[in-house]
Amino acid sequence: MVSDGHMSRRQIRDRAKVLAQEYGYLQYMIERYLSLWGEEETLRFLEACEEPVRTSIRMNTLKASVEQTAARLNEKGVDLQQVEWLECGFYADFHGFSPGALLEHMLGHYYVQGVPSMTVVQALDPQPHETVLDLAAAPGGKTTHLAQMMNNTGSVIAIEQDRLRVASLQSNVMRCGVENAIVYRGDARKIEHLELDPDRILLDAPCSGEGLIPLDSSRKTSKTMADVRFCATREDELLDAAVRALKPGGVLVYSTCSIAPEENEYVVDEILGRHPELRIVPIDLDFGDPGYTNPFGVSLNDSLRLARRFLPHNHGTEGFFICKMEKESESD
Amino acid sequence: MEWESITEQIDGEFGTGVTKGLLGGRVPVALADAETRTLYIIPVEWVEKVVNQDEAISAFFELRLMGIELGQMAKSRFFLSLQVLPFLQSLTENILVVSSRGAEAFTYGKSILKESVVGMPRWLKRGQRVLIVNEDRECIGIAALALDAERVNRLAPDKLVAKNLADIGWYIRRLG
Repeated sequence: MVSDGHMSRRQIRDRAKVLAQEYGYLQYMIERYLSLWGEEETLRFLEACEEPVRTSIRMNTLKASVEQTAARLNEKGVDLQQVEWLECGFYADFHGFSPGALLEHMLGHYYVQGVPSMTVVQALDPQPHETVLDLAAAPGGKTTHLAQMMNNTGSVIAIEQDRLRVASLQSNVMRCGVENAIVYRGDARKIEHLELDPDRILLDAPCSGEGLIPLDSSRKTSKTMADVRFCATREDELLDAAVRALKPGGVLVYSTCSIAPEENEYVVDEILGRHPELRIVPIDLDFGDPGYTNPFGVSLNDSLRLARRFLPHNHGTEGFFICKMEKESESD
Repeated sequence: MEWESITEQIDGEFGTGVTKGLLGGRVPVALADAETRTLYIIPVEWVEKVVNQDEAISAFFELRLMGIELGQMAKSRFFLSLQVLPFLQSLTENILVVSSRGAEAFTYGKSILKESVVGMPRWLKRGQRVLIVNEDRECIGIAALALDAERVNRLAPDKLVAKNLADIGWYIRRLG
């Protein structure tokens, strides 16, 4: 241990080797956690990732009221507990039954969705009659949530590049009774060609998925640091395209299911430097931890503390990063 | 011409004026790929935005869905989509009510047997399309009658009444 209580590089390497073996991770990942959080928090993270994440659902008010769906699910023995900051979000214990097999699911009364994913849309706060873009939209959890919050008014332009995933997006849009969606297959980096003037944009970017380890243990060994860098480059390109397409005065939420600062705070910091018309704004919901402003000792834009992080060891969810930004209006 | 024939088919199966009711204030538009033509109903103000797209847009993006999917044209017959069936429910009397057990089997792709039938209008004829609803009056799909409705009472419990054409279980089965 060095004098300020931090671990030396060698200590990190040695400890990471042991922990990587014990928990089944690639060593470079543990080294990064130790550098980012120190040993005590790293151990809490590793332990939390061994625990299952609670199933959660979003009640789809386009099809039935929260009360109606809750009553029907209770009748079928499903225990519900509301997520504090989400009016339509509930933890749901199906007692071993598949959440997708119930009639209410087929009828579109609810959507099985992680708490962070629901929070992303709530943070964007889409309003009725607006034009909202959902980039990288499949399988449609956020698209259908946007439509729900807009009460099927205005338009939700959902873009997805992957042909197979577009099919699941279409299926969920139809099941959930969404009437205001327009779905395009294509590369969201080219959205300027759509010549839209969106009031809000949601970019839940394709990422390395490092936050999903509690849901998918294969992620402990499936991605290298090169994969993280590849994702970070694509995320930067997508976010840049989103900022350019956003209407002046418009709102943008950037999120990933990665916990890597390189895919989150670093990407936003870079964009803020390139787009002085953009600023981070607070998210008016009480959840998560602040974004990092000094990860791995790299000093970043101080307003990144307004971004929020879900972490398995602090919040019992998958890992997630959410950052809300506003583009200066023309009169500013 | 195509729209006229679709209107004729829907109205013929579900009642005069049903297609107009389905449209509300919206307009029908078609998207075609190599195999099928899918019809959507969209707000009038979207027409400029999505239908009259220039080449620059279509070089980068493929339009896959808009508004409400009305159905698909295949082999000169029009098949209503699952999405539009709940709208249709309030516009037609072609409704077959099934028991909870029958409803569950139907959502697994099964057809309707006599033992599951709770009720339907006696004037419905063999081959006619009917919406399948459960006892809570929730639409769970569409079927084709296998016989005239007035003959159903004479059937044995295990005999086929309506052949499953599409059911909401497809949403789940499709995703594997």
